[in-house]
Amino acid sequence: MALSDFSILDSRRADDLGEYRRQLNAWLDEHADDLAPTQAAPTLDEHMAQMQRVKKRLFDAGWMRFGWPERVGGWGGSAMLRTELGAVLSERELVDPGKFSLIEVLAPTLIDFARPELAADVVPRLLSGEEMWCQGFSEPNTGSDLASLSCRAVPDGDAETATTWRVNGQKVWTSLAQYSERCVLLTRTGPADSRHRGITAFFVDMDTPGVTVRPLEMINGVREFAEVFFDDVPVPTERMLGPRNGGWSVAMSILPYERSSCFWQRIAYLYKRLERLVEAAPKDDRSAEVVGDVALQLHALRARSRATQHRLASGATLGAETSIEKVLLATAEQALYDAARRLLPGVVEFDDDPVAESWRTEYLYSRAATIYGGTIEVQRGIIARRLLDLGTEP
Amino acid sequence: MIDAAERGLFEESVRTAFARAAGERGAPVDGALAELGWLELLAAEPADAVAIVFRALGSAHATASALDDVVASALGRGTSAEVAVLLPESGASDPPGRTVGDRLRATGLATARVDTAREVLVPVGTEGGTNLVLVPAADARVAPVRGIDPEAGLRAVTIDLDPGAARAPDVVDWEEGVALARRAISHQVAGACRAMLELARRHALERVQFGRPIAQFQAVRTRLADALVACEALDAALAAAADESGPATAALAKAVAGRTARTVGAECQQVLAGIGFTTEHAFHRYLKRTMLLDGLFGAADDIVLSWGRRLLDGGQVPRLIEL
Repeated sequence: MALSDFSILDSRRADDLGEYRRQLNAWLDEHADDLAPTQAAPTLDEHMAQMQRVKKRLFDAGWMRFGWPERVGGWGGSAMLRTELGAVLSERELVDPGKFSLIEVLAPTLIDFARPELAADVVPRLLSGEEMWCQGFSEPNTGSDLASLSCRAVPDGDAETATTWRVNGQKVWTSLAQYSERCVLLTRTGPADSRHRGITAFFVDMDTPGVTVRPLEMINGVREFAEVFFDDVPVPTERMLGPRNGGWSVAMSILPYERSSCFWQRIAYLYKRLERLVEAAPKDDRSAEVVGDVALQLHALRARSRATQHRLASGATLGAETSIEKVLLATAEQALYDAARRLLPGVVEFDDDPVAESWRTEYLYSRAATIYGGTIEVQRGIIARRLLDLGTEP
Repeated sequence: MIDAAERGLFEESVRTAFARAAGERGAPVDGALAELGWLELLAAEPADAVAIVFRALGSAHATASALDDVVASALGRGTSAEVAVLLPESGASDPPGRTVGDRLRATGLATARVDTAREVLVPVGTEGGTNLVLVPAADARVAPVRGIDPEAGLRAVTIDLDPGAARAPDVVDWEEGVALARRAISHQVAGACRAMLELARRHALERVQFGRPIAQFQAVRTRLADALVACEALDAALAAAADESGPATAALAKAVAGRTARTVGAECQQVLAGIGFTTEHAFHRYLKRTMLLDGLFGAADDIVLSWGRRLLDGGQVPRLIEL
């Protein structure tokens, strides 16, 4: 398909989301058979293969290029176009938003902080499904307190002139590391107690000698996370993202994407899951109360998330106030799966068909909604200090 | 929509006028509203008018008959201090009037305007839709509602008469009236919730126990954080109701208002502890007002139940808002 086939690319209408959505849905309808998952209850391997296949088709047809800058193979336009794409794919259950929206936290990092030639080389590989990347942030002793990380990078020789750095240490909770060709890695390059001032980000090839990936089985039986060990791993200086000791800005730059497009895509998916619950639940007043309550929470969350994306699109800098939607999202997500457990008795605990399997897996996964991305306690702490101005805790 | 500067100016003058007129006890501010040009703004920019004025009513704990104006104008009728509007009775959102045989019967609530009005505008539910019927005020039996919040100044009204005494009915879209009323009331709840949160926040910073302000205790901070999250959720739902106006977004905003008030009321009352349990502190007024407001034009629990029924019947979940 040629660029000119998209009337949406007319400069006047480049941000016409409604038109984009209409054309995208028409295309997805047309290619529905080709894009549909081949298994009812895919393994993680099958799921990853499905996602990369969908990304490839969408990239080839152009849809994956909207909203990304031209210098990394995109076609420009508002970032909300790609938010919309992820939301539509999630609603159609063609991809899992948690995995698909990793693009939103990884590609912008390369675009904003890598050398332009590196970004131009690698970002299209991520968008097209040719590659998968992971995010090496958390460590065994570094959960919500990211500034305490200790995985160390030291220069071969003088820090100013070294062409190679050596990485030693361990990461954990690294999503999909075993599928990844690359890793955006945060390392300690300052003194051990330098906190956010002594962190540097690198873009590391996962096939470098010295990198060991050990998948972790989550509470739902899926091996989505991994421990990643770095044993004297050489990384070229030209793979540094941002300046030396500038890694904290790299990490923080992700927040606006995570809290805008990723959230919107997750919300789209939760609506779809609520719809599945509405189809399956008994048609009585108990169900009505329970699904009505979840729908209300999702509505307020969606309204909040929409406002945030429009603020971002109009040039606002997102900050502490996004902890509000983080709390709303975590609460609504758990409420949805609690509702499923209540209204579909025994399904989560006893049944073994593919539908029950997905409710069970997702129910268990939803318990992490108040943990990952900064626990709900951390979010409330931020809200208290930054938004309510209650001062610091002693 | 009015622009941000105009909006800021109007908000400021409404706040100042209400603070002066209402005092601590929440006296009526109808005079102040008229001077501010409330009716003109309501006619020209109903969304802004309702948002600014009702939020200010909520935060000042003021009372007014402005809900009459909101319902009348949303139903396409002129507004007048001479005409009171009969509102649904507590918990209900159906038209308060009906015809039984050859009688017009109505049971509902009214603001203080009904005491001085010449006529009462009665929405009457019929098979064919909702009619608006004008009834001489003298034919309405009016009694004050004491309840949990006598300061709100609501009246219980019953009407039972031969329709011959009433002036010509016309058919209106009742849902429009309900939607704008729900948004107005939800803004009032939002204002009251912000006021409760500010009272609790200030108390937490000033109240010293165990040698430090209680704002330093994580348990207290968590409660206030959750109260703020609830306030923000309500603001978002109200913004969505303005952007995508219609019965559904207004109903959900009203339901979020009820839930928010419950959360904010409970968390703030706990933080205010002993002093918040007395009538010497302003908290109780806001708490009681939000409890009362939940019962106007449909309570949160009832809206949630009927929305849930609709989802189950339709087998889908309307998204209502898009990016």
